[in-house]
Amino acid sequence: MALLLRTVARQGLYSSRSQFGVLYRHAVPMGTTSNEEMDKFWAKNTRLNRPMSPHMTIYKWSVPMAMSISHRGTGIALSSGISAFALAALVLPESYPYYLDLIHSLTFGPQFLAFSKFALAFPVVYHTYNGIRHLAWDAGKGFKIPEVYRSGYVVLGLTVLTSIGLAAM
Amino acid sequence: MAALVRISSLCHRGVSPLLFRPSSLIRPLAVQQKDHDCSYLISARIHATPSNYAGSGSKAATMHWTGERILSIALLSLAPVAYFCPSPAVDYSLAAALTLHGHWGLGQVVTDYVHGDAKIKMANAGLFVLSTVTFAGLCYFNYHDVGICKAVALLWSK
Repeated sequence: MALLLRTVARQGLYSSRSQFGVLYRHAVPMGTTSNEEMDKFWAKNTRLNRPMSPHMTIYKWSVPMAMSISHRGTGIALSSGISAFALAALVLPESYPYYLDLIHSLTFGPQFLAFSKFALAFPVVYHTYNGIRHLAWDAGKGFKIPEVYRSGYVVLGLTVLTSIGLAAM
Repeated sequence: MAALVRISSLCHRGVSPLLFRPSSLIRPLAVQQKDHDCSYLISARIHATPSNYAGSGSKAATMHWTGERILSIALLSLAPVAYFCPSPAVDYSLAAALTLHGHWGLGQVVTDYVHGDAKIKMANAGLFVLSTVTFAGLCYFNYHDVGICKAVALLWSK
C-alpha cells in the first residue's frame, strides 16, 4: 500500500514537474535581457566579419533622410559650442566684452560679420524649426510621406529666410 | 442586453454582420478560447522579466520621453522671453534647460552609436562630466559676467 502510494505520489510529482519543465524550457531563452541579446548580436557580427547594418553607402539620399541626420549634426555641434563657451568662461581670465572687443578690433569687413552671424544663426534656427517638426511627429501628426517632404521643405525655407533676417539684424 | 448593445455598436461602426449570432453559439467558443489563453498566459508570465522591474523600467522610459518633450517646449518658449524681457532668472533657466537638453540629446547619440558595456559606461560618465562642467561654466558666466541673454545681444550688436 505504501509502495503504491509512493509510486502514485512520485508519478504525480514527475508529471507536474514535467509540465512545468515545458514552461521552463520556454523560459530559458527569454530569460536574457534585450541588452544581452543585442551584445550577442554585435559579438556575432564582429566574429563573422559582417558588414555594418544599416549599410550607409547603399541608400539613395532623400531630403527627409538628410534633414534627419542634419538635425542630429546641428544638435551635436550646438551642444559642443555651448560646452566650449562654458569651458572658456571658466578658464579664460578676462570678461566676455573684452574678448568681443578684441575680435571686433581685428576689423573684419561687414560682409564677413554678416556671414558669421548667418553661420551662427543657421544651425540654431534649423534645429529649432526641425525640432518643432519633430514635436508634431511626436504628437502623431504629419506622418504621410508627402507631408514629411512638405514639412521638410517648409522647415528649410523658413530656416534660410529666418537666418538671413537674423544675420541682417 | 449589454452584449446586444455592444454588438449593435460594433455594427454601427461597420463590422460585418457575421457578428450577428445568437450568443449561445458564441459562448462555448469564447470559453474554450479563454481556457486556451489561460495556459498561454501562465507560461507567458513565467517567461517575462520580473514585472516590477519591467514595469518601472518602461514607466521610467516613457517619463523620460515625456520629460524630453516638455523640456523642448520649455526651451522653445524661453527664446522669445529671453529676447523681450532678459533677466537673471531667464539666464539661469537657459543655462539649466540648454545643458539638460544637450545632455539628453547626446545621451541618445551615445545609446545609438556606442556599443559594449564598458564603452557605454565610459561614454556616459564622460557625458556626465561634460554636462556638469557646462552647467557650472554657464552659471559662472551668468554670475560673474554679463549673462547669456546679454552675451547674445552684445554679440549681435557688433
